[in-house]
Amino acid sequence: MSAPGDQLSLARTGARSGASPFLHLGFWVASLVAVVAVATLPFDSYAINVLMQASTFAVAVFGLCVVLGLCGQINLAQAAFFGFGAYAVALGTTGYHLDFWLCLGIGALFALAAGALLGMSTLRLGGHYLAMVTISFQQIVTLVMINAIGLTRGPDGIGNIGRPAGLQSSQSYLAFCVAALAVVGYLVWHLPDTRLGRAMRAVRDNELAAGVAGINVYRTKVIAFAMSALLGSLGGSLFAGGFTYVSPDQFSFAESIVFLTMALLGGAASPIGAVIGTSLLILIPEWLRFLKSLPGLYLAIYGLFVILIVRFMPDGIWGFVQMLAGGARRKAPAPLAVPPLRLEPAQAGGNYVLQVKGLRKYFGGLKAVDDVDINVRRGGVHALIGPNGSGKTTMLNVLSGLYKATGGQVLLDGVDITALSAHARTSAGLGRTFQNIRLFRSMTALENVVIGAARPGNVTIEGGASELMARALAALDFVGLGGRAHESVTRFSYGHQRLIEIARALAGNPTLLLLDEPAAGLNSSEKRDLHDLLKRIAAQGLTILIIDHDMTLVREAAQHITALNFGRRIADGDSVSVLQQPDVVAAYLGSA
Amino acid sequence: MDLALQLLFTGIGIGAVYAMVALGFVLIFRATNVVNFAQGEFSMVAAYLMVVFAVDLGWPYWLSFLIALAGMALFGVVFNLGVYYPLRHRSFLPVIIATIGASILLSNSVLAIYGPQPQVLEGWFETPGIQLGPVYLDSQYLLIIAVAVVLVIFQYWFFEHTLLGKKLQATSQDKEMASLLGISVSTMIMITFVYSAVLGGIAGILVAPVLFVSIQMGSTIALKAFAATIIGGFGDVAGAIIGGLALGIIETFGAAYISVPYKDGFAFLVLVVFLVFWPQGIFGERVAEKA
Amino acid sequence: MVVTRREFAAVFAAGVAAPALMRSARAEGATLKIGMCVPMTGPAAEPGRYAMNGAKLALEAVNKAGGVLGKPVELVAEDDQTTNPGVVLAFSKLAAQSDIVAFLGSIRSTQVHAMAPDVLKLGKPVMIGGTDPALTHQGNPWLFRFRPNDSYSGRVIAEYGVKTLGKKKWAIVHSTDAFGTAGGKALAEALGKLEAPPVLDQGYSNQSPDFTPVVLAVKQSGADVLGTYFTFENDLAIFARQLRQLGVTIPWVGSPSTVAVSSLKLAGPALYGTYAVSDFAEDSSESAKQFATAYRNAYKLSPDIQSSWTFDAVSVLCAAIARAGTTEPGKIREAILATRKFGGAEGEYNFDQNGDGLHGYNIVRNEKGSIVFDKHIEFSD
Repeated sequence: MSAPGDQLSLARTGARSGASPFLHLGFWVASLVAVVAVATLPFDSYAINVLMQASTFAVAVFGLCVVLGLCGQINLAQAAFFGFGAYAVALGTTGYHLDFWLCLGIGALFALAAGALLGMSTLRLGGHYLAMVTISFQQIVTLVMINAIGLTRGPDGIGNIGRPAGLQSSQSYLAFCVAALAVVGYLVWHLPDTRLGRAMRAVRDNELAAGVAGINVYRTKVIAFAMSALLGSLGGSLFAGGFTYVSPDQFSFAESIVFLTMALLGGAASPIGAVIGTSLLILIPEWLRFLKSLPGLYLAIYGLFVILIVRFMPDGIWGFVQMLAGGARRKAPAPLAVPPLRLEPAQAGGNYVLQVKGLRKYFGGLKAVDDVDINVRRGGVHALIGPNGSGKTTMLNVLSGLYKATGGQVLLDGVDITALSAHARTSAGLGRTFQNIRLFRSMTALENVVIGAARPGNVTIEGGASELMARALAALDFVGLGGRAHESVTRFSYGHQRLIEIARALAGNPTLLLLDEPAAGLNSSEKRDLHDLLKRIAAQGLTILIIDHDMTLVREAAQHITALNFGRRIADGDSVSVLQQPDVVAAYLGSA
Repeated sequence: MDLALQLLFTGIGIGAVYAMVALGFVLIFRATNVVNFAQGEFSMVAAYLMVVFAVDLGWPYWLSFLIALAGMALFGVVFNLGVYYPLRHRSFLPVIIATIGASILLSNSVLAIYGPQPQVLEGWFETPGIQLGPVYLDSQYLLIIAVAVVLVIFQYWFFEHTLLGKKLQATSQDKEMASLLGISVSTMIMITFVYSAVLGGIAGILVAPVLFVSIQMGSTIALKAFAATIIGGFGDVAGAIIGGLALGIIETFGAAYISVPYKDGFAFLVLVVFLVFWPQGIFGERVAEKA
Repeated sequence: MVVTRREFAAVFAAGVAAPALMRSARAEGATLKIGMCVPMTGPAAEPGRYAMNGAKLALEAVNKAGGVLGKPVELVAEDDQTTNPGVVLAFSKLAAQSDIVAFLGSIRSTQVHAMAPDVLKLGKPVMIGGTDPALTHQGNPWLFRFRPNDSYSGRVIAEYGVKTLGKKKWAIVHSTDAFGTAGGKALAEALGKLEAPPVLDQGYSNQSPDFTPVVLAVKQSGADVLGTYFTFENDLAIFARQLRQLGVTIPWVGSPSTVAVSSLKLAGPALYGTYAVSDFAEDSSESAKQFATAYRNAYKLSPDIQSSWTFDAVSVLCAAIARAGTTEPGKIREAILATRKFGGAEGEYNFDQNGDGLHGYNIVRNEKGSIVFDKHIEFSD
């Protein structure tokens, strides 16, 4: 399954973190004007109803911005959460005569819990399976709403829903909805720049790399789902108070599809896109009333538009607009000067940073790694070599926690990490790069490295966004790319992307750096630069374990080599002697 | 006991319907790694084609059937070129959305042309059914079960014992490798869509006499068929069949012994249980991502 | 042909802007305007067309006879999309036009519930076809109902089955949607009062492909008569067929969908011999016959409940406005409520203080495919 983030939202590039305070102020002023206008100008009931529907739906669609646009997880149950909020207010104010705000809160809590539960199913599932779970959840909720008459009053629905005291008139209530929309929109707008938001974006772009960079992928997804559910419920509560009548047919799977289409139409990753998408999909039916003469024609065109939008405007309308405006973007702020990168690897355990004892990884009958011992001495470069299929990358994947070992033990700096998940190992001090580069493609070089810097367990950082930025910048300087920190990673050459990956790992101040074929695809001058980089890294005391095929690099850079063939260790010792051993030579060149 | 036997027959009958539609899902998924949310509409379009030829134009039943299937083959080509092919390099999410859009487009286009009233399509047989002891066997359902069995055998033979079938399998397992071996991936995918459209068409035409030809007939079944695919295991054809039958039986018995209105809920509940504990399904394989 | 993103954007923008530019100013004329919220899109689009047909037919007759208060009557329709928010939007759009004196609302009760608060606020008369009894019992003085509500259908089914057919062991099969649930409840209550409590009360979800469990439940219950509330004709037809296949031949008295044109076409012989309550029955009265003839002449289609109630609504409304002599809402209301012995397509209208115009149903029978009027059962309370 390929990462959904690749193709869904590449429009989010450029100087995000540089949003000026002028923009913030402008937003609040505009929102205030909108709220006051709505509250005071004479609107007829038609306009009020349209705006009411648009604003409450938009809040729910913001929820999809978070879970789908930002975190890349599919959620086809947003209408169910919308329903939770609506029914909480409906039942609470009519049946139990509770205060509107209390009902809103209860609905929100309930939705939060349900959303988290749904998010927990992502532990094992993604993609289509996740889609199916959310659909099933949605269908079950709709069935309960219709049939559990004792609880929900069934298909008749609930009328005479109360509004908060002081907001009884339609216009004041609408003004309140618009205000709520503005506040929520602001939060969703700035979410991508927070630590949590960056984590979500990383998960969307490249889940594997996110885990290895120290992000707790599972927890991030659960939070994303919970937030989506919360916003859905909020929208539903506002909707119920606005229209004062709800019935189960408004919270069905078809409505979830409507929310999804609204998100995609405008651009799932941005709240502005969500508002555009929602408004269009509510207003277009109003404008296209002349097409209503032939039943089905309007909806057929709607379906056609969905296909066309997905095909030609994958980032939605707002993403498209941003792309058009891309050339007119203001210049990125010049990177500040920062102190050079300091690497302070931990020194807790004895002589060996890494001890691998009897490691085994079997895939059914295939013994990819068969009873291998490796001891990596502290400081310097240790290489792992072997012909293709010898088990090197499998070994690395087991070491970094992407595969579970079938047997054996792995100790990092004296701590047993054999059973830890990938992100837990990263917290424990492991850093790695990938053979096929895994950068977060929607982000800039700096943002990628910041994620690495935010590794829990990074002792060089006390906390705080500016420290993270400074550390990340220092890491980029260290690999020679500090001047291009604010460019999107897709603009860098292959060799430079590899350097960014290394910088990302370094920024986290690991205890051991695992490099998987770092020289692959580099030309000879780039390889020399890489060699220099390795020397500089080792000079600061950080231990490196490198896999590579380039024997020249290995011979020059590594002090110690372990050789594998057919999953077993065939040689281990200092570089020069290992490379002269007959069975090592035979493994590579074949016996005469 | 009589009750249980009747329910069993009905469960297998409706399960066979789910299974046939599920086969179409599985094929497209295996070839393209994409779930086709418009699969139900394939069945619906075929049923309407049948109505046009056999009812409106009055052509002989068997002739209309063949022409309708030919129409479905053409439809598969158009669908591939219009919906999947332009998006083939993108991730699964845009494709899912595009197929949802296609589903809306198809059902409403048919609505615009034919109107919302359901149509009647005669069954294959003159006699509506046979009474076997305490159990009534609807003849169309018997036909559906028989055709499902034939299709499974055919599909097994085709995929395992013909070169084309092997090529299709290779393409579904590793597109790049297949292409390196000289297999035209785009042709294989086209064949898959055509076959899946024809399969969906057969399912639709067989089911139409029982469920009536209506705009919604496809979506009613498709969601359940999708669930069946997961229960059986997304990767495996036999699994889709088993999943379909299992779902049909669970639903029918659940409705009779527990609650009729919540019948649909059982299907989804079972699905969720499977997804949480056995996501690979009964027969499927777990696919690990290459690091 | 490859369409670049820019080209596509341009076309899209033009497409979106065009309708707004194309909208022409509505000509203001000296007509009496009646607003109508009707489904033009969504699942009920076709019945919506029939509703419009009925209203227009009545309108033409009224205008041919000279209009109302000296002016021709005009219908202004808006699409309610068959959804709740849709009908609220449609109604509020119409409500914004101050020269509309009265409205035709929905036949779907949930939609009427949704628009009720706005109706109350506007304070103008709205004619409805929804049959949920609560609609005229919740204190909204502006809703006037042109079909007998579900409390009557349940009582008529019970009355006919128990007293005329002489059957006391009832199986009730009903959809779990709003219509089916309310109907099933009304029937069960009425049966209770006639001391023939149901032996089976079975709900089912709409759009089921298979009804075997329901049929077997009916068989097992030992019932000697079946009462049903089916919303969709597909479901009804599948159920009817399977009922006969599994050998159930007890008498069956159902809701109006049982004799809908579509049901007859789909189910064929499976529905022969069934009874149904129908507010509209062609042979039930002279007015009904006249309406049916006129409808067939105009539209080449057979009329049904979708068109009969709107026909009556427009007729009664126009007559009431003429009698009131003014378009003032309060006076129109009084005039409607004072309507007595008005012969309409649906029956004889005698409005009560709640706004219900009809208090009984026709019983019809399916005689080998043709619908035959049996009797009319009316309640005076």
